[in-house]
Amino acid sequence: MKGTTLIIPAISNYDQMKQLFSLAITFLLLGRLAAQDVYSCRNATLGFFSSAPLEDIEAKTSQGASAINIKTKAVYFKVPINTFQFKKKLMQEHFNENYLESDKYPHAEFKGKILEAVDLTQNGTYPVTVEGALNIHGVTRNYREKGTITVQNGKINATAKFTVRVADHKIKIPTLVVKNIAEVVEVSVNADYQPVK
Amino acid sequence: MKHMQLRILSALLLIAPAAVAQDDLGAIFGKDSVRRDPVIATFKSTRIINAQSNETLARGDLDFRVAHRFGDMGGADGGSATFFGIDNSTDIRIAFEYGITDRLTAGVSRAKGSGHFSQLYEVLGKFKLLQQTMDNRVPLAITLFGNAVVTSMKSSPDKEAVSYFNKFSSRMSYTAQAVVARKFGDRFSLALLPSYVHRNRVGYMDMNNLFALGVGGRLRFSKRVALVVDYFVPFRDQASKDYYKTLGIEYYNPLGIGVEIETGGHVFHLNFTNSTATLENQFIPETTTSWLQGQFRWGFNISRRFSLGH
Repeated sequence: MKGTTLIIPAISNYDQMKQLFSLAITFLLLGRLAAQDVYSCRNATLGFFSSAPLEDIEAKTSQGASAINIKTKAVYFKVPINTFQFKKKLMQEHFNENYLESDKYPHAEFKGKILEAVDLTQNGTYPVTVEGALNIHGVTRNYREKGTITVQNGKINATAKFTVRVADHKIKIPTLVVKNIAEVVEVSVNADYQPVK
Repeated sequence: MKHMQLRILSALLLIAPAAVAQDDLGAIFGKDSVRRDPVIATFKSTRIINAQSNETLARGDLDFRVAHRFGDMGGADGGSATFFGIDNSTDIRIAFEYGITDRLTAGVSRAKGSGHFSQLYEVLGKFKLLQQTMDNRVPLAITLFGNAVVTSMKSSPDKEAVSYFNKFSSRMSYTAQAVVARKFGDRFSLALLPSYVHRNRVGYMDMNNLFALGVGGRLRFSKRVALVVDYFVPFRDQASKDYYKTLGIEYYNPLGIGVEIETGGHVFHLNFTNSTATLENQFIPETTTSWLQGQFRWGFNISRRFSLGH
């Protein structure tokens, strides 16, 4: 609001000043309303599951960041790759070092939109379709996936389950361990949102 | 003029809410915080070749290790008669090492032994004191290593022999070592190993206490294949060196060069070393074989890790 303090002293006419103030207040209010359209979550749970002939692999993190704008229907997810916890620590090391290369590509990120016209100010459970770009391992792919959004008294929960083909994101699995790691992994997402103040 | 100002002001006020309502929701989480996470996989295994790396086992992981050193490839004992040393084995070590916590590893091993003593049993401990962090706030990793080795070989009847044991403690030797390591980028890792070996019983003019400095490195060619090297400089007294020279024994610095192949839970090393032994207690103080005289050998290390922690 630097602009206001800079310009107002230059205005001598009282009516104009009054006009300006009401204008300023109106827009400030609009700004606040706009901010209230955004809901965020800093502990989104993300997990994946890979089922291969020799081994089932499961990993989970609850350090995902996510946000939804209920007006524009924009959806955002970002998760630090190295926060995924595996039961086998050696597997976790391989996941970070050899497959996801979390040194080079520390995050997975999704930017998308809810396609349906849903009113997320109203309580209810809404099946939705989200479309957008998912970046994993530095490779961006477009996805269109189903999810569920539940609104209850100003709190929003979102869940989704979808599959990712590892080859789509240039994650190479050597032939030697091809029986241990599935080509398609199931990803699950769960986030509880609060309005951004 | 006034209208102009009014227009500027309204424009500014219009932008402010727009900035909040824009679709780039990632902005609300701010910039990525500096990552204080530990650097992983400085080395792929708990050993470089003969030398310890800074790595320890994860909690609940069991590492089954086999190390084998063949006979001299060249020189008097090598060549085609022994198929370049393959017919002989100078040392064989079989070990079980276990991650008690993510920082603390304990293990036991049996080694054939190569040096003054054979039929060795080893108890070892390894503790990760410091981990290098990705943000470089901690630029180095430091791991401490110690072992105690006992020989179960029969005492020599010759009272002058090194392997004459008048008491049990004569059978013991110890190593204490710090592994100071750093990973540079994602391909190259380096380690310095200030080391101390104590042998309770040594020959005349040999040294009970021997300090040494080791250096080791790993250079990754691809995701699974790396070049590994380790080298030790034992600080043996000149008087001791000179005395043994008169007996026709010369001490050399142990140097190992190897290729490391990693496949899932296995780490496989194919290496060449001039030292004949696998344990610090022997290859640091008792290497009397030289690369330049063809006294280097094939060897391999195999590590197989099992997750028992769940």
